[in-house]
Amino acid sequence: MSDVTQVHHMTPAEVKTKLDTGDKLFILDLRNTEEFDTWKIESKHPVPIINAPYYEILAEADDPEDIQGTFATYARANWADRLPMDADILVICAKGGTSAYAAEGLQSLGYRVSHLEGGMIAWGDFYDFKPVVESEAFSVYQVSRPARGCLSYVIAAGGDAIIVDPLRHIERYLEFGKSKGLNYRALLDTHGHADHISGGPALAERLSIPYYFHPYDAIHPIDVLPATIKYEPLRADQDLKFGAIELKALHIPGHTLGNIAYLVNGEYLLSGDSIFIESIARPDLGGRGDVWSPIHYQSLNRLLSLPDETVVLPGHFSHPAESNGEGLYAGPLGTLKAQNEGLKMVQKDQESFVNYLLASLPTFPPQYVDIKRVNAGLLEPDEEKASELELGRNICALSQAYKE
Amino acid sequence: MSQISVALSVDARGLSCPMPVVKTKKALDGLKSGDVLELLATDKGSAKDLKAWVSSGGHQLLDSSTENGVFTFYIKKG
Repeated sequence: MSDVTQVHHMTPAEVKTKLDTGDKLFILDLRNTEEFDTWKIESKHPVPIINAPYYEILAEADDPEDIQGTFATYARANWADRLPMDADILVICAKGGTSAYAAEGLQSLGYRVSHLEGGMIAWGDFYDFKPVVESEAFSVYQVSRPARGCLSYVIAAGGDAIIVDPLRHIERYLEFGKSKGLNYRALLDTHGHADHISGGPALAERLSIPYYFHPYDAIHPIDVLPATIKYEPLRADQDLKFGAIELKALHIPGHTLGNIAYLVNGEYLLSGDSIFIESIARPDLGGRGDVWSPIHYQSLNRLLSLPDETVVLPGHFSHPAESNGEGLYAGPLGTLKAQNEGLKMVQKDQESFVNYLLASLPTFPPQYVDIKRVNAGLLEPDEEKASELELGRNICALSQAYKE
Repeated sequence: MSQISVALSVDARGLSCPMPVVKTKKALDGLKSGDVLELLATDKGSAKDLKAWVSSGGHQLLDSSTENGVFTFYIKKG
């Protein structure tokens, strides 16, 4: 059995670039069907993808130890009319090992093929930093975690910087700060997250800077236990200033009771989980959707009174199709008011809106209760458990807006 | 767990995908229908995949257990 030596690999960053530019790509995903159905690589421009669990292919092997040959034989017999000769083929598996063998097998047939280095685990941990606006005087960077649909922000002005909704791989933010010569002054969460583990407390401790959070979210809504993390309590509509960065913490309860949207320099609304590009945040993750829906209505109404030119920068996305021409999840409030189904319901009246909300509630992932515990400091998972808790795409938005 | 009579034991501990499945397949190929294979593995991903493969491959998973990060499977060849 020969070791894999001569096969091309692509890093997650390279894959993202290819997806963004819309280059012709074909994906072969060798993971089991359950995992594939839960999460897979997605792109704004549709990419053809085959899911073929590797063990089903190996089950047909005459010589199981000739892994490359087994994949080549299977490909010749089953995929000859589907695999393109004129496009890059990317082979993926969970950790990268199996895909390397498969890629080598396909390469022997003359295909232009690479495998995803580190597999889907690496894709899951990949963060993409993109400028929304960038200058010496003022910059906003949108930091996405494509595998999960999470968005966080680095705001910088004259060398000072803050991070809003930092995700848990804090080294990414530290490396980025170093590369741009930024001095982080504060961490801020828009709310107590249910879908991902916040990097706020860890970064605050590492850099000895404050971590801002609204006290209502420092009580776990289901356990009704207070948080043990150290944080700076935000007051409703508090004005914050870090060097030349000015922001207002608008208190918009609904998705959570301590939900905050940060209005930065009067221009950018970091809406966290309230307004998304194509939907709005669900009101039921505290277990009380019917009680929180009218409160959510009032908060969203308040946000809609901001100027139409306000640039909305959300905390999540459900599909890359929500991104704009530059691959950013951003849009002027005026446009969203006209096109976003949830916001159109807000503009109708409270009763219509509440009915719409309660009819659109998606499933409640059980791990969200644990993730909220982690974010309150009530649970301390190791790396493996943390990774497990965060598996899959987020379900923070109402489902009705997304039609398959 | 009742005593299971094992025809062959495969030690795939410390091996990552696709090796546990490769070794299992190779071992099963050499057995007769009805023989039982014991497989030891530490790779979590492989453990899940093995279960899926065994059932779709016409074999039977007689028993499985985990202890100290080691998965033990008893697979009866179909």
